[in-house]
Amino acid sequence: MKTWVFSTESDGEAAGSALEALTKARDFGGELGAVLVGEGSEAALAQLGAHGATTVLHAADNTSSGVIAAGVAAAVEAEQPDLLIFGMGNLDRDVAGRLSARLGKPILANAVDITEDGGTWRVASEILGGSTMVVTEFAGGSPAIVITRPKVFAAEPSGGGTPTVTAMDTPDIGHADAVEVLSQHAETSEGPDLEAAAIVVSGGRGMGDEARFGALNELAGILGGAVGATRAVVDAGWVPYSLQVGQTGKTVKPDLYVACGISGAMQHLVGMKDSTTIISINKDPEAPIFGISDLGIVGDVHTVVPALVEALKARG
Amino acid sequence: MRILTCVKRVPSPGAKIVVTEDGKAVDTNMLGFAVSPHEECAAEEAIQLVEQHGGSSTVMTLGPAEAEEQLRTIMSVGVDEAVLLTTDGSDWDPMATARALTAAVRELEAAGEPFDLILFGNESADSGGYQVGVRVARALGRPIVSGIKGVEIADGEVTARRDTPTGAEVYRLPLPAVLAIKEGINLPRYPTLKGRLGAKKKEVTVMEASREPGGQAMLTLLAPPSQETPTEILGDGAAAASAVVDVLERIGVL
Repeated sequence: MKTWVFSTESDGEAAGSALEALTKARDFGGELGAVLVGEGSEAALAQLGAHGATTVLHAADNTSSGVIAAGVAAAVEAEQPDLLIFGMGNLDRDVAGRLSARLGKPILANAVDITEDGGTWRVASEILGGSTMVVTEFAGGSPAIVITRPKVFAAEPSGGGTPTVTAMDTPDIGHADAVEVLSQHAETSEGPDLEAAAIVVSGGRGMGDEARFGALNELAGILGGAVGATRAVVDAGWVPYSLQVGQTGKTVKPDLYVACGISGAMQHLVGMKDSTTIISINKDPEAPIFGISDLGIVGDVHTVVPALVEALKARG
Repeated sequence: MRILTCVKRVPSPGAKIVVTEDGKAVDTNMLGFAVSPHEECAAEEAIQLVEQHGGSSTVMTLGPAEAEEQLRTIMSVGVDEAVLLTTDGSDWDPMATARALTAAVRELEAAGEPFDLILFGNESADSGGYQVGVRVARALGRPIVSGIKGVEIADGEVTARRDTPTGAEVYRLPLPAVLAIKEGINLPRYPTLKGRLGAKKKEVTVMEASREPGGQAMLTLLAPPSQETPTEILGDGAAAASAVVDVLERIGVL
């Protein structure tokens, strides 16, 4: 058995999705490897090794998805891995799609579980915005290519050492690769990282408008948490996409999730339902968000949030 | 400028999904259908680009005969032509879908002019596989960028922007190119009465799609494990604030 996972690298760290996938892949036994796109820092390699990867195929950061897919395809043909696991990042999905097209193999996306039975891979995936699950079997031979949802497997190190690194051959693929990156910019954000925060304060369309959404910054600040938002709020342009929680945004699992003015569309719920404690504030007692909340306050966010801020300040 | 938008007919987002008793299909008896939201935005983007640069736009879907309804919806907001690739009504996997769409693009281009730009939705609202656009682009040998939230065309090149978890990226692609568009790029317009009436009269080109199996076998559909939890209501309005503080202390986050 041979499993490869795909990892991007950011600030010297391997992708969380790759460490989760390696941890899961240890269940299947055999040899584990990683495809790493990035600087190839010692720290990132050590993380991949610590989670079980013994080999790493490395490509530099600015390599386009088409070239990476071509490079991985050549490696797959030479090394014959049985299973390839990708995360939900932009590059993960671009490379997985191109790779599967090159290899003529299907991808199963939005996976929440992977099982193997006598050489046949089965994947459980969320479809229809997380409202339904489908179990699908790969029927076309190796490798099975899977895109997993974030945080469905917990990352745990196994104590492995630094993996052996091979530089990826990056072929010229002509017009299909004629994609040029003009600029990349990072938005600076204050406070803890949304995906890693122990406390997340999120707002939905019920916050009213951009100015009033700002009230959540103060609440998050007092709690030492990060601010999140629903897709509707991001689409309305009140906050950047980097704050979006949900199926097409980030998946969070904080100790505490405070949902303010969020009705609870399935697309949002799949990104936060596994938080340890969920407190919801909504004026509609029938809002679906209450169905998955541990605690609820029925009321107008515009009075409840300021009252909560005051009560927390009074506590000192 | 000739632009093609590929759309998918999907159960209305947010609809209550009921799985048939044998666990093999979604019960469609009580289900409404719509154009998948990312693709609705892709069609709007095509209309705006044609308004700016001239030319024509075409919408294409692969689906059952009923998908003509979604094509007419898209034509009613300003897309000029429509192509329906008919299936037997069963669910096609992404590989089979991409093969059929690619063959149709080749046929349409051979019969007329090539498409400068082909737009897809970033992912469908039902299966969300993220693959059809990338497969078609690869089969046609054209560049693609996904997750696009901004498009500009000038001098035979397209500049496309996408959001990333930490900021944004801007790409430049030579035409012909393929883009996978993400919801939020624009606000799709509503059809006018005149638009609806006009769309009824427009012709939909119907072609039969041929299916090749794509190496995956659906075993069963099921409802996800219930996440319903008993909810303790801490109170109404601002008066509940102190109870929340007590809870935060109890669970140890303060």
